[in-house]
Amino acid sequence: MAEEYAVELRGITKTFGPVVANHNVNLNLRKGEILSLLGENGSGKTTLMNMLSGIYTPDSGTILVDGQPVTISSPQDAKRLGIGMVHQHFKLVDVFSAADNIWMGAQEAGFVLKKDRYRKIEEMTKKFGFDLDPRKQVCNMAVSEKQTLEIIKVLYYGAKVIILDEPTAVLTVQEIEKLFGVLRRMRDEGHSIIIITHKLNEVMDISDRVAILRKGEYITTVDTKDTNEQELTEWMVGHKIDLNIERPKMEKLKPLLEIRDLTIRSDEGNVAIDNVSFYIRGGEMLGVAGIAGCGQKELCEAIAGLRPIESGKMIHKGENIVGLSPKEILAKGISMSFIPEDRLGMGLAPSMSITDNMILKNYNDAKGPFVDRKAGREDAQRVIEELGVVTPSTETPVRRLSGGNVQKVLLGREIKAGPNVIVTAYPVRGLDIHSSYAIYNILNEQKKSGVGILFVGEDLDVMMALCDKILVLCHGKVMGVVHAHKTTKEELGLMMTGSLDLTHKYEDKPAGYAADSLFQEKGEEK
Amino acid sequence: MDDKLNIVTTFLHNIIVYNIPLLYGTVGEITIEKSGSLNLGVEGTMAVGAIFGYILGCYANSMVVGVLVAFLTAALCGLIFAVLTVTFQANQNITGLTITTFGLGVFFFVGNGVKAVSWPAMNNYANIQNGFADLAIPGLSNIPVLGEVLFDHNILVYLGIVIALVMWWYLKYTRTGLRLRSVGENPAAADSVGINVRRYKYLHICLGSGIMGIGGYYMGLNMNGSLSSSCWINGYGWIAVALVIFANWSPAFAMVGTVVFGFFNTLRVSGPSLAMAFPGPLGWLAGVPSQLYQALPFIITALVLIATSVKKSKNSGQPAALGLNYFREER
Amino acid sequence: MRVHIVKREDCPLLKKILLIVGAVALALVLGGLVLLAMGVNPLEYYFKMFTMGMVGNKIAYKAAENYLKILVPLILTALGLSLAFKMRFWNIGGEGQFIVGAIAAAAVAFQAGPVLPTPVVLLLMCLAAMVAAGLLGLFVAALKVKFGTNETLLTLMLNYIALYFLTFLGETKADWNFFLSAESARPTFASFTSMVSFPRILLGKFGLNICVIITVLIGVLVYVYLKRTKQGYEIAVVGDSMGTARYAGMKVSAIVLRTVFLSACLIGLAAAFKVGTAGILSASITDDVGWTGIIVAWLAKLSTVGIFLVSALIGVLQYGSTAAAATFASVDSSFADMLQGVILFLVLAADFFTRFRVVIAKKEVERHG
Repeated sequence: MAEEYAVELRGITKTFGPVVANHNVNLNLRKGEILSLLGENGSGKTTLMNMLSGIYTPDSGTILVDGQPVTISSPQDAKRLGIGMVHQHFKLVDVFSAADNIWMGAQEAGFVLKKDRYRKIEEMTKKFGFDLDPRKQVCNMAVSEKQTLEIIKVLYYGAKVIILDEPTAVLTVQEIEKLFGVLRRMRDEGHSIIIITHKLNEVMDISDRVAILRKGEYITTVDTKDTNEQELTEWMVGHKIDLNIERPKMEKLKPLLEIRDLTIRSDEGNVAIDNVSFYIRGGEMLGVAGIAGCGQKELCEAIAGLRPIESGKMIHKGENIVGLSPKEILAKGISMSFIPEDRLGMGLAPSMSITDNMILKNYNDAKGPFVDRKAGREDAQRVIEELGVVTPSTETPVRRLSGGNVQKVLLGREIKAGPNVIVTAYPVRGLDIHSSYAIYNILNEQKKSGVGILFVGEDLDVMMALCDKILVLCHGKVMGVVHAHKTTKEELGLMMTGSLDLTHKYEDKPAGYAADSLFQEKGEEK
Repeated sequence: MDDKLNIVTTFLHNIIVYNIPLLYGTVGEITIEKSGSLNLGVEGTMAVGAIFGYILGCYANSMVVGVLVAFLTAALCGLIFAVLTVTFQANQNITGLTITTFGLGVFFFVGNGVKAVSWPAMNNYANIQNGFADLAIPGLSNIPVLGEVLFDHNILVYLGIVIALVMWWYLKYTRTGLRLRSVGENPAAADSVGINVRRYKYLHICLGSGIMGIGGYYMGLNMNGSLSSSCWINGYGWIAVALVIFANWSPAFAMVGTVVFGFFNTLRVSGPSLAMAFPGPLGWLAGVPSQLYQALPFIITALVLIATSVKKSKNSGQPAALGLNYFREER
Repeated sequence: MRVHIVKREDCPLLKKILLIVGAVALALVLGGLVLLAMGVNPLEYYFKMFTMGMVGNKIAYKAAENYLKILVPLILTALGLSLAFKMRFWNIGGEGQFIVGAIAAAAVAFQAGPVLPTPVVLLLMCLAAMVAAGLLGLFVAALKVKFGTNETLLTLMLNYIALYFLTFLGETKADWNFFLSAESARPTFASFTSMVSFPRILLGKFGLNICVIITVLIGVLVYVYLKRTKQGYEIAVVGDSMGTARYAGMKVSAIVLRTVFLSACLIGLAAAFKVGTAGILSASITDDVGWTGIIVAWLAKLSTVGIFLVSALIGVLQYGSTAAAATFASVDSSFADMLQGVILFLVLAADFFTRFRVVIAKKEVERHG
């Protein structure tokens, strides 16, 4: 008889319409261990765990808890089986107190609400070694408090198996340390824990074993002590066949887009981009590397004029573009495309056709009151042909396309507008090798024609092969800009985790300021 | 002087008599809205409860039967709403409006149909007649003025107040109420802790609709069961929808709101007699157009709506997920 | 066996049509059962109803004229509402906007009717109604854009405020109140048919009201506006994804304000047509088109062509039931409301099967070890 696991998943498959989120996934969790579930964005980690917590129901496959096959068709089932999940987007009622958020799901709580629930919850909180005011309303809580509440909630319901979905994404370094302390103690008390993450340093730090998913498929599970970050990365992103990505050499042109001392806040009000400076020249591709949620999204949005900045300058061809509307920035030839995790959020109107999405940014250029769909249809046809978009027709709603095709539509539109700066974030997210190469080629063509490109990416190998320089972000701060052909993955990895800071390599000038900036010459030129 | 006092007393007494159906409608709608469902079918639901409650109650010559039938038939309307919006994920506004069209259709269809054969006149049914008679509460009703205003009413007035109080306690001080509120605020959160969102919605939509139905029955009785060209409910259902907002989704405030809205509503009828009794201080009442009184509940509510949105007040009792259907596997 | 529900995007058109036709048919069968129970032959009743009593009727042209009279305001109102709904702005204030429009149109008729030539008066009536209704819509839209005021509840309140303003005008005798008839001692609305009325084109006995032609024209315009123009495109994007609209540099607030204004304008025009044809105000001037229009727009899935079709069907139900009531005295005309309700319930339920797929999950009985 094989070992009895706390939880075992066998051959789990889950699809959403045309999207296969998980395919034939196997996973097991030992009793009293911390298991990291590692994978890139869109690799199906959250979907898989949502099936354990009863949010989704698998299309096929078996789930075993304590060796017994079970059916988890609702969160209620999961709770009864002792499985609790702390979701990335907290599931809390804003207008309730901390205690009531726990109490509403408690089993033995009785019909009438009594005041002593606050005391009971407080005792429980203390017992687990947390510090939280049970009377405090959720809407008045900081992010870390909300997370603490979620963990207490799960513990209060008596969960033996605890799943945390990217718990560190919203925390500061100190808070992460504290959280890890809590997790270790919970493990020592006999809980089995799954932590979803794509941050390798955290995986190495906290987990006993690591399970890896890639593009919805299960790759392997290894003991943390027997592996290293490099090996994990390879499993996570797949073995490189031969990364023969072309990097056209261009002569040095003037800086096109200069970012100086830029500070931006996130939606939650935290500093997302912290005093960042860099520049992109024409015919240059600058990669942006960093673990997810390090301010990449905020940076992209700020450049596109979609997010107000706190302080700093954004200079395009020597002209400050801070405060311009998205439309005005668009008119200057700055194109931004961002592929969010759900792949549909920003930049596309999902219920509308490919043609209609093609004209999104230039529909207003047509003469007269009418939209020029004929041109849009031709553009759509061209993008479909050139990028090999698989679709029944140009009139198919974008949401019916598969992920890769959606991205091609988005990027195709951005490029046809003839921009001089392209900001593109995760353009190959979730794409297969073939489609990815198609996209790299498109970007290289643009670069050859003198366009400056900011490439926000996840795959270090790709960035090292494709980009001219790579800027590394860590928690909103620049860790330095390195030449892509000179750097190593190790160096980048150290910078991404904040262990290596190369910004002060050249003390004579502020890091990230172009020596031949058009901004300084502005007066003389004209 | 006694005459004048009587006019005032009658006026205050009538505020309650004529407007208790608003309380039923409002408390019913609050029950539903707290589960996150916006049911615009109050008018129709009350009409259905009214017509069946009245006719069957008379046939059985029992007010208890009347109340039960009103509750059950109205709850059936709630069930239709629940099946369509909770299970079939239909748009709540459209479904609610359809319940109103349907309910008013049923009201006239059944009413006129029965009338064509023979209409049960309330006077012929002693038990109903007596059941709806005022019941003075011993002791309390002897207090001058206040006694008659507050403690000398028919049993359905007391029932309405009891239901409102129980509902207030239920929402605020019971764990089931807490769970219900969590469903209306954030169904995904409620679901994740194992609360059966669908069951909570179904139960409370039916319960709330049933309560409205009793209010409809009350209106029928209060009109002495005489069927004319306009429906008994006559817009009270819509005032109830407004009153929910005014009462900030609290059954306790619904009682206050009923009195406030009822005050204007009754002033419309009693204004002239008050003006006649007190030509000095209240003479101006005669000049106020009655339509202003009718519009006031809606004007006040519109102002409340605007004010709360301008203030972005956090204390609003409006459930955060009001009007949104919940589908677990949303991605 | 477990039932499991999944979203779908790809329901074939034929299946959609079959589902909806099936729902309507089932509703008619249910209604038929009620009729049977009352001792009325459902087939005869439905025949009378769907032909609106026109078959074998010497004055069938009158019935057709009256049917169109019902149809015009309903179609225009639903068209107007569809503009706002397309943007996910839940304007349920059709009643209120209609009433305000009707009052404005009537005011122009009374004031300008005696002094200006009829075509000018009619034009002014339409303009006044559109502006008045449009401003009411704009008021709500502005609050929504600025403060996020709940437009559904606010427009609902405004419906009643407008209604009681109308009854106030209808029930208050005063020197300033030119809406009332001077002859009558009791307050009643005055008629202005003798002064102004929308012209009709006579086709034999049948008089085709010019409003009908304009309504069809507006239908074409709305279709073109939504499908072909930049503004229509903006509405679609804002309705589909507000984030994307901002990303594309659209001024979302301005688009919302403009569209809601237009939406209410069309409803105002519906009111002008109604008042201009009836030649008199009344407390029930709207005929509930503000409500029915919502249902029509929704059932038609906001498609312009669909709105014409659904309106035609609902018009048949409403007008046909009055016609049938003349023959079948035992069946109250409220049967139509009830039937309309049942049809809608079943169509809403059928709609579910076009948006979702019900999967019967196989029990996983695979045994290991």
